[in-house]
Amino acid sequence: MKNARILVVDDEENIRLLFKEELEEEGFEVDLASNGLEALDKLKEGRFDLVVLDIKMPGMDGIQALNEIKNANKDQPVILCSAYGEFKQDFSSWVSDGYVVKSADTRELKQTIKNILGL
Amino acid sequence: MNPVDLLGKIIEISHSNLELSSRITSILNIISRDMGSEEVIIYTRDKDRRLSCRYANQKSVLFKILNQYRCHVGEGIVGSVAQKRSPLFYTKRDIPPRFGCLFYPELDGRIENYKLFAFLPLADDSYLYGVLVLCSSSRDTLHDADKIFLSILSREVGGILCSYELIVSSKKRISELATLTELGKILTSNAEPHDLLRNISLIIAKSLNATFVTIKLGYAFLKLDSHRFTYGTIDPSVQDHVEELEGAATRLLRAVSIKDCAPDEYEDSFRYSLFSAPIVSKNRVLGTLTICGDRAGQNYALGEDGPYLINTIANYISSGMENTLLNTRLRDAIRELSDAQKRLIEQEKFRSLGEMTANIAHEIKNPLVIIGGFTKRLARQIDIDRTGNKYIRIILNEVTRLESILNEVLNYVKETPLLAETCNINDYIDEVLYLLTSDVSWEEIRVVKEYDAGLPLIACDSQQLKQVLINIFINAHEAMRGIGTIWIQTKQAAYENRPFVAISIADTGGGIDPAIIDNVFNPFFTTKERGTGLGLAISNKIVMNHKGHIDVENVAGKGVTFIIYLPAKNNTIKEELL
Ligand SMILES: Nc1ncnc2c1ncn2[C@@H]1O[C@H](COP(=O)(O)OP(=O)(O)O)[C@@H](O)[C@H]1O
Ligand SMILES: [Mg+2]
Repeated sequence: MKNARILVVDDEENIRLLFKEELEEEGFEVDLASNGLEALDKLKEGRFDLVVLDIKMPGMDGIQALNEIKNANKDQPVILCSAYGEFKQDFSSWVSDGYVVKSADTRELKQTIKNILGL
Repeated sequence: MNPVDLLGKIIEISHSNLELSSRITSILNIISRDMGSEEVIIYTRDKDRRLSCRYANQKSVLFKILNQYRCHVGEGIVGSVAQKRSPLFYTKRDIPPRFGCLFYPELDGRIENYKLFAFLPLADDSYLYGVLVLCSSSRDTLHDADKIFLSILSREVGGILCSYELIVSSKKRISELATLTELGKILTSNAEPHDLLRNISLIIAKSLNATFVTIKLGYAFLKLDSHRFTYGTIDPSVQDHVEELEGAATRLLRAVSIKDCAPDEYEDSFRYSLFSAPIVSKNRVLGTLTICGDRAGQNYALGEDGPYLINTIANYISSGMENTLLNTRLRDAIRELSDAQKRLIEQEKFRSLGEMTANIAHEIKNPLVIIGGFTKRLARQIDIDRTGNKYIRIILNEVTRLESILNEVLNYVKETPLLAETCNINDYIDEVLYLLTSDVSWEEIRVVKEYDAGLPLIACDSQQLKQVLINIFINAHEAMRGIGTIWIQTKQAAYENRPFVAISIADTGGGIDPAIIDNVFNPFFTTKERGTGLGLAISNKIVMNHKGHIDVENVAGKGVTFIIYLPAKNNTIKEELL
């Protein structure tokens, strides 16, 4: 699964860029979306092994998007990724498969992805 | 003068400020002049119910003779007027034989020239004050109008005597009342208990002319350090008696005097009059009040009614002490309340500050991640290890630091709901210690554990509680600079009668400067160059959310012990016992 496809959803362009480059470096195929709706569209178009979802976004936020994604396909793996652990305890985020606090150090993110993908 | 004017004049005089005797004499003079009677005399009733001749008009001749004799009520003419409380009038025609003798034994033969006598009781509905006597040589008839006038007159004079009598008996009462009023003022003031008791003894001593006044407290009243409050000096010769009396008053629960205690030898020869009374509040003897007066002195403190007065004063003191007690409690309660209010306001401020901080931190987080993330990429691209570009390393270090500050701030300000699970805290301590001590920097730290194996379980959010333990352990580690001993103890404890679990963590890191110890739980308070000052603030918040609290025992120069109290989970059995 080295060529796993990952969808990174974040409203901040440079975060998207950073994650894309970091994850591509790990050998993943990365696609981007800048909000929840766009992400849902992309998920309809193609199959992704994993979604990395920011929580705080304008329009449809991450939690809402998570619910929609899981409603459409409850087996779709999703990692919630936010600026701080605000929703760590919120039960609606339990539905996600992982939770990562955003950091300049992307090792935790990468490790979580690998764990979920069974790498 | 017509009767109305005359009466007006008399009333005017009777209400004047003149001394009582001159007021009465003036009135008698006027009556004498106006009624054409040479003798106008007043008998008053003494304490022993006998009548004596006290006042007369200036020109009276008989006064000098009459005032040497006192008669009983019912005895002679004056006595019978007093008894029957009805006036008697005699004119020349109906003066009985040997009238003078009836009037006064030695007067026989000396009153032949008087043609008219009037005897008027000075009384009101309930009380007889005396008898007014008029003798006239110029008039020999009395009209009804005169009689009416005289009876009005006698009532007025009776009124004066009445008020005088009241004044005399009141005077003593008033001075006692003044004492009590003064006491009342102090007792209802907000004085500190200490000042209260000192002032009380001072006032009693001053107003009763006492040689000394001493209040002894048997109970520890409001943490007073001294148990005896004395005004004046206790003469060594009575010291023993004072203690004896205090004992007796406490035992007998009533006022006692030296006579009750000391045998006859003291009765007359004893120089002092000494009284003690118990100060009783709600069936509990708080202490005793003892008053001592010098019999030789002018106004020695307490006479026959001493026990009554001292009891009254003691009652005053007890209610005053109760007041003070209430006041002090009230003051404490108010202080607590306003503290709580302040805390609430602080919390409120903090909440909105917290929200703002959370927002700012959130906004900063993304740019920071971007800066840091790309700098890392940059570092990898230019192969930092080879080029040794220290600027990049600095940027990375600072980003890491900023991130950790942001995380801590966000951790602190966010409201984290508790995910409560039941746990044994011993296990968590071990878990945390295992994590921490695996680091080399812990190699030279000795960890001593004293766990209570039968520790009650607690309900807690394990993640958050581990955070607390980590913060405290890391502080200890930092204080000891990596070398020393950490001593951990867990045990059961009771707090406000409820079962708690107490976790003590002691270190040998030199302790906290007492000057700053009040600040260590404040957010952002740190003495460390790279500290955030949030470790203890967060820990405190978490423990408070668990309905527990953290205590600090600090031995400056040695080390600190942080004690975390958490409510034990299953306290139902204990509660039943309570
Ligand atoms: N075990 C300890 N020994 C000595 N001082 C301590 C200890 N724990 C805390 N302190 C003091 O309390 C301050 C606040 O601690 P904390 O809230 O954890 O913030 P920080 O560790 O970031 O300074 C510390 O800076 C230090 O001065
Ligand atoms: Mg700390």
